[in-house]
Amino acid sequence: MTHVGCASQRAAGGSLRVGKTLIECDDPDSVMQAQARRAPKGVRPLLSLTAVSLLLFVVACVHDGGSRPVTAGPAASPPAASPPAASAPSASPPAAAPPPTPQPEVGVPAPSAQPAPPQTNVPTSPAPTPAAQPGPATAKTRPSNSPTNPAVSARAPATSAAAPASAAAPATSAAAPASAAAPASAAVAASSPSSRPPVAAAPTLDLNGLEQRLRDTHAIGLFTKLSLKNQVDDLLAQFKAFHQGQSRSTLEQLRQKYELLLMKVVGLLQDGDPALASAVLSSREAIWGILTDPKRFAAI
Amino acid sequence: MPARPIVGFFALALLGSTGPLVAQSPSPGQDLKAAIALQGFPCDQVVDSKRNADSDYTATCKDGNRYHIYVDATGRVVVKKL
Repeated sequence: MTHVGCASQRAAGGSLRVGKTLIECDDPDSVMQAQARRAPKGVRPLLSLTAVSLLLFVVACVHDGGSRPVTAGPAASPPAASPPAASAPSASPPAAAPPPTPQPEVGVPAPSAQPAPPQTNVPTSPAPTPAAQPGPATAKTRPSNSPTNPAVSARAPATSAAAPASAAAPATSAAAPASAAAPASAAVAASSPSSRPPVAAAPTLDLNGLEQRLRDTHAIGLFTKLSLKNQVDDLLAQFKAFHQGQSRSTLEQLRQKYELLLMKVVGLLQDGDPALASAVLSSREAIWGILTDPKRFAAI
Repeated sequence: MPARPIVGFFALALLGSTGPLVAQSPSPGQDLKAAIALQGFPCDQVVDSKRNADSDYTATCKDGNRYHIYVDATGRVVVKKL
């Protein structure tokens, strides 16, 4: 407990509590001044300086104490709000979720309530592939501004396509395959890869550019390039036969061959030309989309 | 005394320049090894290679396997185990 003399507070009352400090104003002469009288002359300026600083501190405390009741009101209100939450303790984490909503108000204020869960889902899976090609520096700014809406709109068909299959559970796509029948889960699994390639295909694919970069790269030698070209031509011939209905191999087998060849290319490039390797790797689904589409394949 | 920083600088410069030099273009041995591996034959490292003609090589791998690598008339890379 600290005693501080303050003549101004005497009229208001006998004492003033600021935090743990009790300021008593019963004595007209402060204790510091009394000590200063008792102190030797050399110490007196020092004591007066200390008294001035203490006075400033007291003024600051009084000012802070006057402003605290304003902040103490909201501080007291959360306990008042907590009793309603006490009925459902699991609802308190969603109550903690609204603080993230102030963050979206910096970028997009309108989709505050509903698009928040899709925003958390979107950057996990589809965001890396589009962000890898256009520009890695804009990858963080893009999910917050515009691509959220295309991603949401791209996902909306997937969820709407899954909704007829599940017929009951609309939102929980992970729980629906487990609870529903196997065909429903197969439909969901088939719909999600089919919906993803068009999203990743449009911005990433540049077949001519990739081909030219593969021709120009010094990461692989001539024999290797020629061998790869032979294998690519063989695979294209197999796809051509598949689309003409003359192939015995299934699409799953062709997919395995395609993946194997792509891994060969990436494995050969990743040491000498990692940028091209990543470009090839990020274009995997887009190229596969072309290979499996008869119309687009015929246009190659 | 000032020679030491200069030597260190040049050492760092040489170390930094080895990466691009290595990544610039593979050696004929690495190219042949990749071509052999792409055809499904085992070859961990090409220790010797002999040029027979244009686009026609005989390579000896570290494990003792020897291969004839050439480009046929149709433009395909052919690898034959010798």
